[in-house]
Amino acid sequence: MNKYFGSRKKMVTFELRNKLMIRRALTLLFLVSNYSIASAQGGEDFIRSTGKIYAVVAVVLVLFIGIIIYLFRLERKIKNLENYNNEQ
Amino acid sequence: MNLKNTWWKILGVVMMIYVILAGFLIPMKAGIISVSPSYIQSGKVVSLKVDAYNSNFDKEPNLRAWLKFDSLHYLAANKISVSDYNSATIDFDLRTTLPGTDTMSSVSLIIDSEIDGYSLLPGAISVENNFEEGARAFVNTPLSNMHSWTGIKFPFRNILYETIRNTFFHVAIWMALFLLSTIAAIYSALYLLKPHVLEYDYKAYSYTAISLVYGLLGLATGAVWARFTWGAYWTNDVRLNMAAVSVMIYFAYFILRGTLTDQDKSKRFAASFNIFAYLAMIPLLLVIPRLTDSLHPGVGGNPAFAGEDLDNTLRMVFYPAIISLILIGAWIAQLRTRVFRIEEKQLLAEAK
Repeated sequence: MNKYFGSRKKMVTFELRNKLMIRRALTLLFLVSNYSIASAQGGEDFIRSTGKIYAVVAVVLVLFIGIIIYLFRLERKIKNLENYNNEQ
Repeated sequence: MNLKNTWWKILGVVMMIYVILAGFLIPMKAGIISVSPSYIQSGKVVSLKVDAYNSNFDKEPNLRAWLKFDSLHYLAANKISVSDYNSATIDFDLRTTLPGTDTMSSVSLIIDSEIDGYSLLPGAISVENNFEEGARAFVNTPLSNMHSWTGIKFPFRNILYETIRNTFFHVAIWMALFLLSTIAAIYSALYLLKPHVLEYDYKAYSYTAISLVYGLLGLATGAVWARFTWGAYWTNDVRLNMAAVSVMIYFAYFILRGTLTDQDKSKRFAASFNIFAYLAMIPLLLVIPRLTDSLHPGVGGNPAFAGEDLDNTLRMVFYPAIISLILIGAWIAQLRTRVFRIEEKQLLAEAK
């Protein structure tokens, strides 16, 4: 079973990198939205400027980041398969 | 590259590029953002400061405006002084009696321009009726010779503004999800009918996986959109909560597969659970939200995209958006199937 999932060390580093990436993406989103909340009291903020077009940009970014995160998870699975095949 | 197997992936990507380009580059129609003051009393000449969006007030020599009391009573503007392309001060002579006997009435503002077409702000101001002795009778000045924009532009909706473009991403991803989860449910049913064909199980698993990803993305994009239009990431809207329940049921599918160790039983149980999840999703997402009040369009039994909410210009981008998200989702599901197939073969080889 252990063989199949590749070496433990490799899996951990890959998972860690993945987790870090997800955390960075979420932090970025959080910062952007927080920035807009903080400046909302002062009238028009960045995301609400130009007819709220940046809300559309944010939505497209969420979609893009979400699909990329899924592709990274898929890549991890392929990596495990490769490791297994190399050890054979 | 085998064109026979890749053409639909290329089509999906090309359509997505079209959706992003057209979705961002097609401009919005002109519209009225706000009017101040929002409360006036009759019996004097009132001047309203109007803020508009995407308008060409400065280029328009023949700008006209009306206050709409009801579908029969209109009052034309006295004087319009344009400050810049998006703002103007409009004077209305309200030294008259008002139509109707209500003390307060909600009045809409209509602005007509030859360049931008007409735009309307419903319920723009509240007018308090000051009955005055000897006031001049109300003279109805009906709308005449209205202009409407006929080119390709997205409709202007108040509060939404440019975020109406999110229709191509947030709404389209839910529509794509419906088709992908239908495919998953069909494969699950096929697996239950022919349990010896493992391929059905792989495909059911992969299409459910991409459905779950789309569901989570649908919730996330909806939260971002809601933040800048409704004011909060999550509201107590029925559709939101039901969508969350539906996504959680799909989560349970993967937990189920992970916990059951008996491969054969796990697959069959998962297949029947997948059909249950799909059948639960239909009332949760399509029926219950329509029976109650909701911030989403399309409540009270109306289909969501009838009438003005989705006009032909939006459709031009919305339908390709759905198709491209389906194709890209099917592509990702295919990759997942291929990985799953090898994983399963290795597990079988190890078991021997």
